[in-house]
Amino acid sequence: MTAARALAGTQRAAMAEAWANRRGFWTQVIAMVVNDVAWIAFWVLFFHRVGAIRGWDSSKVLLLLAVLTTSAGLVLGMLGNARRIGRLAVEGDLDAALALPVPPLAYLLVRRIDTTNLGDLAFGIVLFAVAGHPTPLRTLVFAAAVVVAATILTGFLVAAGSVAFFAGRNEAGELGFHAMLMFASYPVDVFSGAAKALLYTVVPAAFVSAVPARLIDHFDGRLAATLVGVAALFAFGGWALFTAGLRRYTSGAVWTRA
Amino acid sequence: MKAFRVAVVTAAQRVLAERGGLLVSLGFYLAVVSVVTSLWRAAAGAHGGTVVGYSAVALTWYIATSEAATVSLNIRLIEDIGNDIASGTIVAELLRPASVVGIRVASEVGRALPRLAILSLSGAVAAFLLSGGHGPPDPAALLLAMPALVLAIAVNLVAQHAFAGVAFWIRDARSTWFLYQKFVFIAGGMLLPIEVLPHGIERAARLLPFMAMAYAPARLASGHFEPTLLLVQAGWLAVLGAIAVAVFAAGERRLQVVGG
Repeated sequence: MTAARALAGTQRAAMAEAWANRRGFWTQVIAMVVNDVAWIAFWVLFFHRVGAIRGWDSSKVLLLLAVLTTSAGLVLGMLGNARRIGRLAVEGDLDAALALPVPPLAYLLVRRIDTTNLGDLAFGIVLFAVAGHPTPLRTLVFAAAVVVAATILTGFLVAAGSVAFFAGRNEAGELGFHAMLMFASYPVDVFSGAAKALLYTVVPAAFVSAVPARLIDHFDGRLAATLVGVAALFAFGGWALFTAGLRRYTSGAVWTRA
Repeated sequence: MKAFRVAVVTAAQRVLAERGGLLVSLGFYLAVVSVVTSLWRAAAGAHGGTVVGYSAVALTWYIATSEAATVSLNIRLIEDIGNDIASGTIVAELLRPASVVGIRVASEVGRALPRLAILSLSGAVAAFLLSGGHGPPDPAALLLAMPALVLAIAVNLVAQHAFAGVAFWIRDARSTWFLYQKFVFIAGGMLLPIEVLPHGIERAARLLPFMAMAYAPARLASGHFEPTLLLVQAGWLAVLGAIAVAVFAAGERRLQVVGG
């Protein structure tokens, strides 16, 4: 209970820090919204020219993007260090976190708010409201699916970043981050064979966007249970890899602020 | 002139020494190419074999080239330049007996060239494999795409310096790179041939410099033998280079730095 209160306080402090520079805050949020609007423009232009492909049309892709931007905004915005675990490990920046009486992974995750990605979070919610045909049931499934997708994304990023504890370099974390967001932002059915299998296993991009979007359109209890199971697996995997990696962590005792 | 040459060579050597960074760029590039070409091949398949006159093979070579032209560059260069101007770091460069913007562009060209070479070669292999063993639609046009790729990164780099120079006036130019990048994505033809755009937007895109940064080399590599595209790129390089020099010259005159 004390740890939970300390973590909540840490996140409040991180939010206050991000909010301190109001002009910078809004500039970055708006920049990300513009970025997301450009993606929407791309997909609208694409489907306008080529029509539906393998069951995907612009409305389905907009729903997929709503899920992805909301869940990615939640993870990369509110848990800003999720994508930095590898860099922090390699550069020896974990010392300050290890000395605190709270679980280090949880502390690291809530320690940093990334303002730019809060724009994604806001954009995703608005996109769902505008293009996701929201009904009470669809909104409920959307909210639950976003939380589960965010859990998978966090687990994956922590696991990919934790490889740096063992490899001594962070290329896997960087590549995993870029690959995950890239694959998750495209309709999964344009891929086939080994590439498609990859998206359901090693880089679980399908579970971060396409599967949650499918659940919102056509809810299926078994698919929902599978999604929750995958989330539990990646959450545990991320935590286990980080914990095992910490045993190998070394630094030059540089006291930095993670 | 020697200073610029040294800047190019030194930067290139640094990039080649950072093998991890090169590996990440290559992995990212191959992931992007496989994803985007899958999409366009599926589109061509669902559309009778071609999209706006591009076959599935042509689209594969188009995307492999347009992505090589952009992934070779530091994606956040505008932000980095803006930070150097806003923090005053750039003031140390004013002490050198050479143009600040000239040395900066030369260094970035040096950083981009090794990446461009590696990505283009890997892209050619990837395009060959992804298109089911089909070679380039027109080998002569592909030869023209090589100088077009070098011109594309040069145009992109001078344009980014001209764009980032706004930081001399507004200080916080960090987020403008998002906006610039999106113009390259769509109006520049990085993600889609500009013929896909609605007619009015396509005409506007042809008049903007972004088409020289991705569309021009990609159009050539996709089998369209159009040497005039190289002239268009050279023209934009001259115009944007002059603008970048003028922006930095004006900005340097009004730069004020406290301490050091």
